[in-house]
Amino acid sequence: MDKLDRLGWAEGLAFSAFGVCVGIRATVSGMLDRILPLLPPGWKKSPRGLVQRLYSLIGANGSEGKGVRHLNLLYANNLRLARETDLQAVLEAFRNDHHLYVAGASPDMTFIHAGVVGWQRRAVVLPGRSFSGKTTLVRELLRLGATYYSDEYALVDERGLIHPFVRPLGIREHGSTVQTDFTPEKLGASVGVEPLRAGTVVITEYQAGTRWEANPLSQGQGALELLANSVAIRRLPEKTLLRLLEVAKRAVFIRGPRGEASEAAASILNLST
Amino acid sequence: MKKLEFPQGRMDCLSRELGAEVLIYDLQRDEGHCLNYKAAAVWRLCDGKRTPRQIAAELSRQFSTAVGEQIVRLALGQLWDAHLLVEREVSVETPSRRVAMQRIGIAAAIALPLITSMAAPTPAQAASCLHNLAPCTSNLQCCSNICSPVLNKCIGG
Repeated sequence: MDKLDRLGWAEGLAFSAFGVCVGIRATVSGMLDRILPLLPPGWKKSPRGLVQRLYSLIGANGSEGKGVRHLNLLYANNLRLARETDLQAVLEAFRNDHHLYVAGASPDMTFIHAGVVGWQRRAVVLPGRSFSGKTTLVRELLRLGATYYSDEYALVDERGLIHPFVRPLGIREHGSTVQTDFTPEKLGASVGVEPLRAGTVVITEYQAGTRWEANPLSQGQGALELLANSVAIRRLPEKTLLRLLEVAKRAVFIRGPRGEASEAAASILNLST
Repeated sequence: MKKLEFPQGRMDCLSRELGAEVLIYDLQRDEGHCLNYKAAAVWRLCDGKRTPRQIAAELSRQFSTAVGEQIVRLALGQLWDAHLLVEREVSVETPSRRVAMQRIGIAAAIALPLITSMAAPTPAQAASCLHNLAPCTSNLQCCSNICSPVLNKCIGG
C-alpha cells in the first residue's frame, strides 16, 4: 500500500453508499468523469477522509514506445483487481467489485441477489443465482407495465421494506455470458423511487420447453430462499435474518420452473393483483 | 436407523420463530434451516432430559391429539442430519421419512415433521457471476468457476 500511496494522484473521491464509505483515486485527470456514473445509486460525497475500502486506478502510460503495453491497473486496497489495456474492462471490474463490497458491508440495508419490480404498490421480488433468468423476467414484467426497481439487488431495510437499486439492466444474449446494459428508460419503463412492502416473492428458473407452474411455499421456506441469495448472510447473520423475517411475514411465496418469460410474467402480475 | 436417548438441541445457532415455523441459522456451518411446526415442536422439547417417548407424550398434550414416538424419532433423525442436535457418541436409530409415510399413509404425511436446509452463500456466490475474460480474483466470481491465477481473468466458460 505504501508503494501505491507514493504515486502521484491526480484526483480522488470519498463517497458513502448505504452506510459504507469507499474511496477512489486515479492517476489520470478526467477519470472521475467516467467513474461517477458507475457508483451505486444514491451515493453521496463523504466529507470523511477515512474510508473502509480504497480503490486505486492507475491509468495506462500514454508514452510512445515500440512493444510497450499500456496497461490500466486497478487495486482494491493493496489487492490488484485488474490489469488491462482496455480501460472499459477495468472500469467494469471497479463497478462489479465495489457494488459487491457495498452489498456485503452495508449496515443500512440487506442486499438480496434478486430482480425487483413494483406492481400495485407492492414489490414483486425474484431472488435467484446467475443464469436463472431474472433479468429476462424483469424485462418482461416491465413490458407489462411494472415499475423498475432492480435486476441485481433487492435492498431490505429493518422494517422489511424493499428499496430500489436502479442501474442499467444487464441483459445476456442467448447462450452468452456477456451482458449488455440497457437503461430502463430505453425499455420504456418507469423507475421506482419509494420503498415498497414485498407482495409476492417468486422463486423460479428458466427451463427450456417448460410451462409455467408455481406452487406456494410456506413463509419459513420462502425466507430460506431469500437467505440463500443474501450477500451478507455469513458476515451479518443476525441482522440479515431479522430483516428477511420482516419480508417473509407479509409476503406470498411461490416457486416453480418457467418456460417463456411472457407466460410467467402475466401470471405473476395476475397473482400479485 | 438412528437412536437418540436424551436429545439436546444446539444452543449456539441463531433461531427465530416465524408463525408456527422456526428459522435456524447455523453459524458454525453457514447453513440455514426451516423447521415446520412439527419439527419445531420436537426441537423445542430437546432439552437433554426428555426421552423421545416423553417428547411424544408432551406433544400429544400440546396438540390435543396422539403423537406417536415414531413421529418424534423421525423429527430427531432430521434434526440430527441437519446437525441441530448436540452431538454425542451414541448409536443413532430413527425411521426414515419414507418408511414413516408408508406406515401412516400419504394423507397424513403433510403432518410429518419437515426440515428444509440450504447453504448460505459467500458474497461472490450471491452476486452475478463474471463472464469470460472479465478480471477476477477468485474462482467463485466467474460463471465458469475458473479464475486464471496467471491472467487474473475468468476462463473456461
